[in-house]
Amino acid sequence: MQVALKIWRYDSRSGERALREYEVDAPEWVTLLDVLDIIKDRQDGTLAYRKSCRMMICGSCGMRMDGAAVLACKTRMYEIAQSGHIPVISAMGNLPIVRDLVVDMDPFWAKFKAMKPWLQPGYVEPPDGKEHLHTQQEMNAIHKESLCINCGCCVSECNAMESDPEFLGPQALAKGMRFVGDPRDQAEVERLEAYNSENGIWECTRCYFCNERCPKGVDPRDAIAKLGAESVKLGIDRDLGAKHAKWFVTSAKTTGYLRETELVPKTQGVVASIKEMKFAMSLARHGKIPPPFPPHVAADVKESRALYNLVKTQGRDGALGIVQGEHALGRIEFDEAEGAKVTDPEVRPEKPTPHAES
Amino acid sequence: MRAAIAAHDAGVDVAIVSKLHPTRSHSGAAEGGINAALGNASEDDPETHAYDTVKGSDYLGDQDAIEILCNEAPADVYQLENWGAVFSRTEDGRIAQRPFGAAGAPRTAYAADITGHVLLQVLYEQLIKRDLPVYEEFFAWRLVVKDDRCQGVICWDLMNGGLKTIGAKTVILATGGAGRLYVGTTNAYACTGDGMSMALRAGVALEDMEMMQFHPTTLAPTGVLITEGCRGEGAYLLNSEGERFLKRYAPNAMELASRDVISRAEQTEIDEGRGVEGNVLLDLRHLGAEKILERLHGTRELSMVFAGVDPIYEPIPVRPGAHYHMGGVDTDVWGGTSLEGLYAAGEVACVSVHGANRLGGNALMETITFGKRAGNHAADWALAHTTVEVPESATRDAERDLQALLDRTEGERPWKIRDELAQTMHENFGVFRREELMERQGEIVAELRERYRRVLVEDKGTLFNNDLTQALELEFMLELADCMVVSGLARKESRGAHARPHDYPDRDDENYMRHTIVTWVDGGPKLGWKPVTMTKWQPQERTY
Repeated sequence: MQVALKIWRYDSRSGERALREYEVDAPEWVTLLDVLDIIKDRQDGTLAYRKSCRMMICGSCGMRMDGAAVLACKTRMYEIAQSGHIPVISAMGNLPIVRDLVVDMDPFWAKFKAMKPWLQPGYVEPPDGKEHLHTQQEMNAIHKESLCINCGCCVSECNAMESDPEFLGPQALAKGMRFVGDPRDQAEVERLEAYNSENGIWECTRCYFCNERCPKGVDPRDAIAKLGAESVKLGIDRDLGAKHAKWFVTSAKTTGYLRETELVPKTQGVVASIKEMKFAMSLARHGKIPPPFPPHVAADVKESRALYNLVKTQGRDGALGIVQGEHALGRIEFDEAEGAKVTDPEVRPEKPTPHAES
Repeated sequence: MRAAIAAHDAGVDVAIVSKLHPTRSHSGAAEGGINAALGNASEDDPETHAYDTVKGSDYLGDQDAIEILCNEAPADVYQLENWGAVFSRTEDGRIAQRPFGAAGAPRTAYAADITGHVLLQVLYEQLIKRDLPVYEEFFAWRLVVKDDRCQGVICWDLMNGGLKTIGAKTVILATGGAGRLYVGTTNAYACTGDGMSMALRAGVALEDMEMMQFHPTTLAPTGVLITEGCRGEGAYLLNSEGERFLKRYAPNAMELASRDVISRAEQTEIDEGRGVEGNVLLDLRHLGAEKILERLHGTRELSMVFAGVDPIYEPIPVRPGAHYHMGGVDTDVWGGTSLEGLYAAGEVACVSVHGANRLGGNALMETITFGKRAGNHAADWALAHTTVEVPESATRDAERDLQALLDRTEGERPWKIRDELAQTMHENFGVFRREELMERQGEIVAELRERYRRVLVEDKGTLFNNDLTQALELEFMLELADCMVVSGLARKESRGAHARPHDYPDRDDENYMRHTIVTWVDGGPKLGWKPVTMTKWQPQERTY
């Protein structure tokens, strides 16, 4: 089949930039990476991109297709080519481009290293000098985070990092959760203190692009949420983000409604609130602020309180309370009896499949 | 990385040179697990592990090295766990172990089907903890040899361009295998045998180069690996008639026979017309969705992306594919080579613990145990020697040769030579071997080497020029292909991965229970032999 691509070529030394179109003849099974290989081999040896395993595990070939981060080796081209669409391939975002599709990963690794990404078991030693004893269930807490292949797709798409390049970002924070959630690690408090810094977890805008674009189902946003929940649980709540979240819980528990009038003082403090007074008065004049007294209490507030207590008694007020993204464990709703499919793969071969004799 | 950590902890200055970022290494693609006789799933001991490995090697493995591996393996695996490796767990919270091919007990410790990935991450974490410098995206091209000592490496700096010479008292090669010599390989694009070729050029011998393992379950068309863990969990292999054909080849072990046996069985089925479009079928359906999703999640993802098959509902089409080089740089049990100051560990090396056929799960273990040993020994050596001398001529020669390659403006692009090499190695030096085809392959390789002399690098720049490094990798591979063919022709028997059913169908212990050795003399391979070290186990007939 014929496959066409437009590729943003770039040379950081000369600053030259150009969108070039390529068309190659390729087998139907090719991935984006295979197409780039054909172009480099046969049409233009100067095209620069990274690659290695071509099986979605080394994390080398992160790039953008039509503006969204993908692993080139995971992206099958058949349907795109058949549709006649010519995708635009460019380097990942939020990282300096070196040449063509190759970005400088140094800022990425600097943040990774800032997480102190190694196990700190403290003085805890395995009971018999062998392995630490932990159940599969305990270890599952960090299953998704340990799937990360450091490809940078999440960082590429991170909106918070686009506005503040210093933000630690989804990959580094997911790595952080990999240790905070590890039952063997004893440095949880120190870690959370560090991750609660100015450029830490509360800077995330919760746009969920990282979850959306991660090719391995790590769900970095969920990891950040877990770090937030653990921080609040342990009383590391000096950040506005933490206070903000806490007030949501408090108002839900006490009245069943979000008490917005008190949200600003509770989050930003009294001084900041006074500064916002003029704005608040103008809101009040337009009827946008309900009077704080007497507090408006929801009729079914008992339900909300029961829910609060349930979360507490089940110990789900930390990371465990964060609803897990689905695709990492592949635990998508599954019902074999009714013949429901987990996911329909793109291509299904039309051939009879023999069964085992025994 | 394991070697660097050991050397650092022994008190020397260490740096890592890698053409990829360390976590991009192909060790990360190892899926199934790492073998150590922990005895967590059933009773087991290092001696049984050693026996299985000796038998699996078709008695070509050096038994002293195998005993070292199996004895040190448990402590080395505990060490990885203590560092933070995220292993799967048994019900009582210990490291989980699953059955693997040709193993007498469920011995393969695993982390779902991403064991290599998890171990690579934990080693990198320990590297960062120790703040060890890494020369990332430095393409190692030549070794510096002075006064019969290896004293450094000459590298191409991908990010900035230019040759950079790094002087060192000792150099440890950990560059992995050369699967890219074949089409349909499980190996990454990076697995081009760089270290083997560099050592060969520096005068060091390569051992057992004919021993290329074919993994029984790789995905068409490009050879993506489907883990042995599938069969460890109970998957069946079926032919087009729906028959579990292994009952005719390995009636006892069935799908858990050793890899060479299964690859030959599959190839025979396919050759005799009982394949399905050049494949056999790996059937996981009876394992049930839950087990597949929990323990073989990555495998399912690979099958769905690359073959369009969901193993919960359909069997996966698989076939044998080039996977692992049992042969490599001839080393002693400390990773040392015949060149003072040069060490090798992992797939690049041939200690030899795998002999003529490696058992699944032993490769990761070898990288850890022998990486550690090489690191320790190299550190001791470095502490006892004070000088490093890199002669200017070494760098100058390298620069001149490289410039000549870059100055060439007309010639043949590397891809045609590369593809022809891989295709013909697959056809003429594959699962089954014939005298005349191997001879033909020797001629083809000679012709390709001749064509390589006019190879054209299109990219003349200095900014991430991997057009250049890919051409240099091709030169490495052509030399290794030559060595493999020479070794293969010399071994007139069938042993492990080297199967010659048409002319020498049997193992010949009297003449060939010895290692082939190849050195590089006058621009070509020269054959020699080396005895096998035996300790406890006498050769026996090998059945599964």
